[in-house]
Amino acid sequence: MAGNKGRGRAAYTFNIEAVGFSRGEKLPDVVLKPPPLFPDTDYKPVPPKTGEGEDYMLALKQELRETMKRMLYFIETPEEKQDIERYSKRYMKVYKEEWKADWRRLPREMMPRKKSKKADPKSKKAKDTDKGTLLANTADVLKKIEELEKRGNGEKSDEENEEKEGSKEKSKEGDDDDNDNEDAAEEEYAKEEQEEENGYINSYFEDGDDFGAESDDNMDEATY
Amino acid sequence: MTQAEIKLCSLLLKEHFGEIVEKIGVHLIRTGSQPLRVIAHDTGTSLDQVKKALCVLIQHNLVIYQVHKRGVVEYEAQCSRVLRMLRYPRYIYTTKTLYSDTGELIVEELLLNGKMTMSAVVKKVADRLTETMEDGKTMDYAEVSNTFVRLADTHFVQRCPLVPTIENSDLGPPPPAPTLVVNEKDMYLVPKLSLIGKGKRRRSSDEDAAGEPRAKRPKHTTDNKEPIPDDGIYWQANLERFHQHFRDQAIVSAVANRMDQTSSEIVRTMLRMSEITTPSSAPFTQPLSSNEIFRSLPVGYNISKQVLDQYLTLLADDPLEFVGKSGDSGGGMYVINLHKALASLATATLESVVQERFGSRCARIFRLVLQKKHLEQKQVEDFAMIPAKEAKDMLYKMLSENFISLQEIPKTPDHAPSRTFYLYTVNVLSAARMLLHRCYKSIANLIERRQFETKENKRLLEKSQRVEAIIASMQATGAEEAQLQEIEEMITAPERQQLETLKRNVNKLDASEIQVDETIFLLESYIESTMKRQ
Repeated sequence: MAGNKGRGRAAYTFNIEAVGFSRGEKLPDVVLKPPPLFPDTDYKPVPPKTGEGEDYMLALKQELRETMKRMLYFIETPEEKQDIERYSKRYMKVYKEEWKADWRRLPREMMPRKKSKKADPKSKKAKDTDKGTLLANTADVLKKIEELEKRGNGEKSDEENEEKEGSKEKSKEGDDDDNDNEDAAEEEYAKEEQEEENGYINSYFEDGDDFGAESDDNMDEATY
Repeated sequence: MTQAEIKLCSLLLKEHFGEIVEKIGVHLIRTGSQPLRVIAHDTGTSLDQVKKALCVLIQHNLVIYQVHKRGVVEYEAQCSRVLRMLRYPRYIYTTKTLYSDTGELIVEELLLNGKMTMSAVVKKVADRLTETMEDGKTMDYAEVSNTFVRLADTHFVQRCPLVPTIENSDLGPPPPAPTLVVNEKDMYLVPKLSLIGKGKRRRSSDEDAAGEPRAKRPKHTTDNKEPIPDDGIYWQANLERFHQHFRDQAIVSAVANRMDQTSSEIVRTMLRMSEITTPSSAPFTQPLSSNEIFRSLPVGYNISKQVLDQYLTLLADDPLEFVGKSGDSGGGMYVINLHKALASLATATLESVVQERFGSRCARIFRLVLQKKHLEQKQVEDFAMIPAKEAKDMLYKMLSENFISLQEIPKTPDHAPSRTFYLYTVNVLSAARMLLHRCYKSIANLIERRQFETKENKRLLEKSQRVEAIIASMQATGAEEAQLQEIEEMITAPERQQLETLKRNVNKLDASEIQVDETIFLLESYIESTMKRQ
């Protein structure tokens, strides 16, 4: 086909002159290793712009960096448990408030579900089924709530009962299940806030960190 | 998303929100849309933490959610929005130049918090401004509200999509996630609020006498007893509008550099007039007649009508084609070619990069190939008047870095290399993409280097902070000069030197980040504008 000139002899398949080398000239060396990591540059980079605007933006940038670290959105990595718990650590901890989102704008599964500290497995199950199944009839929900009240903890404060009654009344007015679920969620929140004031050490069981944190759904064992 | 972008997003998220949010965010960027459980399983983090991280990301408009069939909610990350975090200082500074300190703080609060209600913003900004004012003076809410309304009128802030109000209970169980509705009409409508009040100064512990006793202060710092009047109406910063403003700024300064101040003022007037009428992605503005432009020129620019006409003709004839003439009615109808302007700016950036990297002779070859579109090796040498060896060397250097590409034109159907034309050409779009990718890599390198420098000198930095704190507290309680001197000497001279060097380096790295971001903006605008036209 295209001129077998090269039997056993080196020949280029293209016109060497087109590439810029003349025939017989010494070709550049073959590259045997990757290029250096930081090659020398012939031309040094231009210094960055200076000016009033640039200075201001620089100061602003550094300030923003510091501010962001202190904001509530910055979630600290939880430290691993050390073997020896230092006494001073308890007093050096900086308590950051929890940032509360607007739950109306977020999907429902976002709401953190609190593990109840008192033994309440059945009510938890009832709440789970509430959220999952289609309860078109508010009367069913009312019945369940009444059952829960009878069964419920003796330690629940009056306000909780009032809230349940409040929710019952609201449901009687014919609101949709949304309210019930919202109240259920609110109840859980209310529980959380009230529990702050009793004698239990809050930090004993952190949220889902070490103790039985495999799944949120199987809350069959009561936690003491 | 390219690896470089993902790396940069990861660094930004970690710096601003912490490691947990970074892990979730990067996972979402890498894998696309995913439901909650899958995220928790794949990243190996607990469900609780994933929820917290997602809440933060959604609040800051970095992640959106969608309800799919069977009630599964999927979350998707917006990589380009994460990269905007680099530009926050520029947004805030721009607002400062346009609306002074009040506007600056409003936009800063909105950017730092993602979305906020108007009343919350006004209250916070008033408090912050009051802090900086002299004793006794306070900032009125009304003034802050006014600035907010002005920002909304010029579209720099906009309403977030709303949660639709669920009317009746027939809908059955509520959807697993609210579908947010975007109301185009009301996007910039400010709710009627009567915000009366003044900013509160944060009382220091010494001034307790007049204030309420500590015990009575409520547990929650915010008074959520009274209902907030504009509850549910959230505002966010409108980044597109800012980008439009930056683009206009770039065009005006380009005209000023190329011609003179007056022509840049004319172009600025034309752009201002088309701000609201032209969508930001249009290739050119609506035609404006010369009479209209004359009427809208800023007060103080008393050039006569003929001079204006001359300037306009000059601008329209300029080979860069920023301004074009589209008709003759009304004294001449002129448009600004936005797409062409962006293309020229992007090309100028490429030329400048070639010049700084390879030298001015290379830049000459580059501009030559740009102008003539396709050139052979021999022709390049002839036109550029550069000896063959050097020309060949330069062309190959640029080829290896992908600024220039080869186009093969075969003479025969078998594409034999000896019988094929090889033409050098510059494909501006792909070169711009390549350069953009490099910019992302550079910023990632800059951030890493800055973090490395800070980490190296962490011990020294902490020591200096402690010493400053000690000095401040001693000064507050009134200490002698000698004692202060002694404390200051705790930091030795070489350590001070080290601190100085560190500060200088960090400043330089930060300034470079800001500047690379400007290039990124130009290139991204050009690529976006080109893609829209195709």
